[in-house]
Amino acid sequence: MRRVGIIAVLFVLVAGACSSSATTAPGGSVTAGVTLNVLVEAGGYGAEVTLAKAFEIATGNHINFVQVPYQGVYDKLSAEMSSKAGAYDVATIDEVWLPTFASFLVPLDSLFTADVKSNLFAHEVEVAQQGGHYVGMPMWDNAEIIFYRSDLFSDQAEQANFKAKYGYDLAAPTTWQQYSDIAQFFTRKDASGAATLYGSAVTGAMDSDFENLSLQAGSPGTILDANGKSIINNAQHQQALQYLTDLVCKYKVSPPNVAASDWGATQNLFNQGKAAMMMFWGHAYRFIPSDAPVVGKVGVAPMIAGSAGIGATPGPWFNVIPTSSKHQDVAQAWIKFAYDHNDFALQAPLGLVATKSAYNSVVGTAGFENIKPLLDTLSGPATKDRPLVADWQKIVDNVLVPTVQKAVACGSSPTDLLNAADQQLKSMGH
Amino acid sequence: MHVRLNDRAFALLLLAPAALFMLVLVAYPLLDLVRNSFFNGMLSAPDAGHFVGLDNYASAIASPQFSGALARTILYTLIVVPCELVLGIAAALLFNAIGQRSAIFRTVFAFPLMIAPLVAGLLWKFLLSDNFGVINWILHWVGILRDPTSISWLSDPTLVMFSVAIPDIWLTTSFVALVVYAGLQGIPGDILEAATIDGAAYFQRLRYVTLPLLRPVLAVVLVIRGVDAAKTFDVIWLQTQGGPAFASEVLSLQIYRTTIRFGDLGQGAAIATMFLVAMTVVSIVAVARVWRPGEGARRA
Repeated sequence: MRRVGIIAVLFVLVAGACSSSATTAPGGSVTAGVTLNVLVEAGGYGAEVTLAKAFEIATGNHINFVQVPYQGVYDKLSAEMSSKAGAYDVATIDEVWLPTFASFLVPLDSLFTADVKSNLFAHEVEVAQQGGHYVGMPMWDNAEIIFYRSDLFSDQAEQANFKAKYGYDLAAPTTWQQYSDIAQFFTRKDASGAATLYGSAVTGAMDSDFENLSLQAGSPGTILDANGKSIINNAQHQQALQYLTDLVCKYKVSPPNVAASDWGATQNLFNQGKAAMMMFWGHAYRFIPSDAPVVGKVGVAPMIAGSAGIGATPGPWFNVIPTSSKHQDVAQAWIKFAYDHNDFALQAPLGLVATKSAYNSVVGTAGFENIKPLLDTLSGPATKDRPLVADWQKIVDNVLVPTVQKAVACGSSPTDLLNAADQQLKSMGH
Repeated sequence: MHVRLNDRAFALLLLAPAALFMLVLVAYPLLDLVRNSFFNGMLSAPDAGHFVGLDNYASAIASPQFSGALARTILYTLIVVPCELVLGIAAALLFNAIGQRSAIFRTVFAFPLMIAPLVAGLLWKFLLSDNFGVINWILHWVGILRDPTSISWLSDPTLVMFSVAIPDIWLTTSFVALVVYAGLQGIPGDILEAATIDGAAYFQRLRYVTLPLLRPVLAVVLVIRGVDAAKTFDVIWLQTQGGPAFASEVLSLQIYRTTIRFGDLGQGAAIATMFLVAMTVVSIVAVARVWRPGEGARRA
């Protein structure tokens, strides 16, 4: 009997030590021993993996990342929303998807203290609020800036020729006119007529350039106004699309087939040394491959300004918790940890963060030359978020991208295209 | 106690597991799809939809994007299937003529069949890339193109449907060739010999003896490849995502976009149901008109 009692006690002790059930973490405030499934875009993984290791040490919980391409995040979270399977505890999503998923997300109001809100950009705080609650915490923010070939711009012969032709010094463009002049100047062909260098890469298969230009031209919003009504054919949008069309069709500063150029194609054209400039997302500066012909030859500058000043559509990504998550307390702890240590993400290849303090900590640091232009662009007077409507993806797929593609295919009037787009948006209830 | 089953009952018993499998994994999802097509549910809240009758069907049919996608689906099928049939039959006839020595050639010819459509789509996207694609540069080097960017394979709306068909033809011609080759092995040699003795030339034997005897094989190939081509998704999605400006969007892409990207479960289900019915009808007609099963027995 005594032997049975000793064995029973030992059994309980061993069973307790081997138990996989969650216990209180060192520090005592959050459950430990949990594995969180975090859905991220491929680029976001780099930003979060270092944080994850620190989180695991601090809390005793494990982060399992599920990496997918950009569109895969939307698709998988849609499937999760429909199935409520509890496959993901946290997802890092694009801001434009917040309205679609808002009803499916756990409120994070307790995380948005006054200090937190003052350390975030105003548009991040505004966008995070959906249906009266803060449903996402920014993980990183981004915007398109100007990339240019610093070796070409600093070449004395190029500088002299440019000054002689255009009457002002060759430098990173700050206005629409300068961008167009420089792009034309650097478009070069060989004896057979084949292009050896394009003045600018143009992303004809995406909508971002058009939206940025519309804000720079002074549109009160891009595509839709504050009430969700179509403004796509207002004067500023027409100027924007005409400018983009002229670059491709009139001045021929880009390859002739940009209707199929997505972000990857644009980046590749520039990184392979085939384009003198591009308008691209700020993180791409640190993504230039080490064996690319342009390594060490890339300069960055804030987005160009139109009549309304520097303008761009920011691209913050938010950490959110699906209501189907079975570990919401740990998920919230992870999100808070990611905010508190947001500067960790600066060391990742993506090199993007969400807080002012984190960004300011690396301004002027070698290797982070893109941060100051990014901050200037995010703070630009014409910088505004994309419309946050539930059917934004439908608007992009059915209206915006086809409109831009038809414009850069050269053969349609931008005014006619925008009028048609306006009719389409109206038929969608906008 | 010994239970004796008659042949029919025993056959039904053996079919039962497969039937159950089909019921759970095929019939139930299909019925659910059709059911969804009569409701206006969204992917985010599939059970919250209301019954709307044929509204989803009406709005899909009235949509210019649906009619465009339908036309492009038919065009894509009409490009891909005849090309694969002609090339596949030609290859099979060649292998048959060479005989046993064609084994190595058949093996090499089958290599594309082992590549996943996903990989093929990516591969051809890079090969056909307007700016960096090897195809354009080869054509430029041999002097066919003055400028390597002259042909916009994937961004020219008038060309893109033919361009996205290339990977499909490259992938699956070998399947057609192998199936037809297997069919050729089943043609009795004495019939061909008799035709030769009667003075029939090669193409006369091909037209009046070989192809008619290959009809069941060709019907199977036609149905399989026709349905596969009509429902192609991955190869086109990877290359162009249906662009530029919907110029390469076929019905399968539209179903995906409507259901997953826009979350419109009802309309996506309506398009998918119409597509399913159309494919079933086409398959039945193809089997009945090309294969004509049982015709030989009826003639006898």
